[in-house]
Amino acid sequence: MTGFTLEVRDVTKRYGDGPTAVSAVRGVSLAVQPGEVVLIMGPSGSGKTTLLSMMGALLSPTSGTISLDGTVISALGEGRLPEIRLRKFGFIFQDFNLLSALSVLENVAIVAELAGHKRGEAREKATQILTELGLQERLRFLPEKLSGGEKQRVAIARALVNDPALLLADEPTANLDSAIGHEIMRILRRVAKEKGRAVVIVSHDQRIRDIADRVLWLEDGEFAEAIELATDPVCGMSVERAKATTAERDGATLFFCSRGCRAEFLGQLPTDGIDPASA
Amino acid sequence: MNGPVWLLARRNLLRSRVRFVASIGGVALALSLVLALNAIVDGVSAQLTSYIDQSGADVWVAQTGVRNLHMAASSLPDSVVEAVRRAPGVAQASPILYATETISANGQRKIAYVIGLPSDTTMGLPATVRSGKAIPGRGEAVVAEDFARQAGVGVGGEVTIFGRDLRIAGISVGEGNLLNTVAFVSFDDFASVRDVAHVVSFVLVRTTPGASANAVTKAIEQSVPGVTALGRSAFAQEERQLVMAMAGDVITMMNAIGFVVGLAVVALAVYVATLAGRREYGLLKALGARGRVLYGVVLVQAGLSVAVGFLAALSFTAALGLLIPAAGLPLALSIEPASLVTVAVVATVIAGLASVLPVRQVASIDPAIVFKRGVAP
Repeated sequence: MTGFTLEVRDVTKRYGDGPTAVSAVRGVSLAVQPGEVVLIMGPSGSGKTTLLSMMGALLSPTSGTISLDGTVISALGEGRLPEIRLRKFGFIFQDFNLLSALSVLENVAIVAELAGHKRGEAREKATQILTELGLQERLRFLPEKLSGGEKQRVAIARALVNDPALLLADEPTANLDSAIGHEIMRILRRVAKEKGRAVVIVSHDQRIRDIADRVLWLEDGEFAEAIELATDPVCGMSVERAKATTAERDGATLFFCSRGCRAEFLGQLPTDGIDPASA
Repeated sequence: MNGPVWLLARRNLLRSRVRFVASIGGVALALSLVLALNAIVDGVSAQLTSYIDQSGADVWVAQTGVRNLHMAASSLPDSVVEAVRRAPGVAQASPILYATETISANGQRKIAYVIGLPSDTTMGLPATVRSGKAIPGRGEAVVAEDFARQAGVGVGGEVTIFGRDLRIAGISVGEGNLLNTVAFVSFDDFASVRDVAHVVSFVLVRTTPGASANAVTKAIEQSVPGVTALGRSAFAQEERQLVMAMAGDVITMMNAIGFVVGLAVVALAVYVATLAGRREYGLLKALGARGRVLYGVVLVQAGLSVAVGFLAALSFTAALGLLIPAAGLPLALSIEPASLVTVAVVATVIAGLASVLPVRQVASIDPAIVFKRGVAP
């Protein structure tokens, strides 16, 4: 066991053969821990969606391996993948992708039914998750009657209904305004932290960087300089791990925006509250 | 696993009500064509033998080789009647004369089975007489009600049969059919007009109680030379088979048209519905739905369209069966169990074939379609 939810090792995806071959993803490696939120950013055409498709077992890599909870899913035959997708992954899309003919409740419950839950049980579970996400008044609504934020919350509920190990989100805030986008991201972060799910998000949206534990930059199919973010435990600000002031406690590394926050955390702050070192 | 299949199929079908109604309407129309045609054929077939069925005779005796009435000519010497009476198992034997002729009244003309009845017969006469008498005397005729209504004549009116004007002495019910009517004249008039003295067409036989029609037919054929004897139901069956053989090609062709139209309508409707839901099928694949679930959705959609269309077709044909006689048309529709089974099988085949292309389409959908940008709910 690696202790990682998802492990991507030296994965390449090439389309075509010979001189016309195009590599969408080149030798990418990545490991995601339970409870971690990883944001993959990059310009259009950088291979983000191809990578996400491979991580979600919707596309096979040309080379390299992808493991989920210790199982090498990239080596599994097509016949076993639906089961993996159904039970191990939760997908969230930019376009929400709800089934238009089904109600909110049915959209969520049907995924549980596909996983073998009985109808009543599936509906009960779906109702509970939708209620947690504040949609208890919308259970009978068709998707067309919902706002963008509500649709995305339904999609999150659908992604969570089979208790997956990993949530994969493709531009989850792209069709939402800033406030709603932040609300969706807060929900995803809460899911990661409270339920111990790993969350991988592909996005262009700079506004959501501070929600992620790690930000990776994909360009031309390869990870460029990875900017890893951490949250200052004192002031709550997002800080770049590489540039932050650090301190160790109980074997864990903590990251601070300034020496003042670090000092406060360590109980070294002067009584007037001003840290001369940070001034 | 059936829950999601039924839910998705039902909702997909009802999502576009116009498409659903058009699909059901098309299927219903196509199956109605098949069902109504079969009902007409069955109805006409039953009507065709109504005179034989209601003749009261257990056995029909004809000239050798003659096995039915329609377009047949049978001629036996009248001595045969006595010979038949002496055969074992025969309780009564009575002759009739028979010919297919055109009868007319008030300018209305119709092909008729013209039956010459002896004045003392108890077999072969009209089963139900609406008015007047059952057995015509010299110079008289009994005609069917539908013909009398069309011609605007009644008891006391005139009808021309064999070129002679006869007085209508009775109106009968139940022997007519789409192809021809039945008219009764006196045995003597028939014989004198057709110059067939000492000749009979058929001998109608009533068997003794407990005697089987089969045994009696064998006994008659053994004891009376030059005749063919058939039990009533066998004689009626021969009559039906002859007409069915004549109409068979038309029926087959019309059934084939109905089948092709139904198939085209359902196939198109399910194909369009699948095409419209392509992204959603891709989404279901991405979410982990197995192929059998998605194929099940397509099959159930086709099956539901055809089932509802079948019920609509059945209702339509049943309504037609009530309306046509009420409108006074000499046509009876009869929906037989065998016909229902045939149309149900045809409908099932239609649903299956109509699903082939959409299933192939669903099988080819790439689940990664969900990452393509587009307008989605």
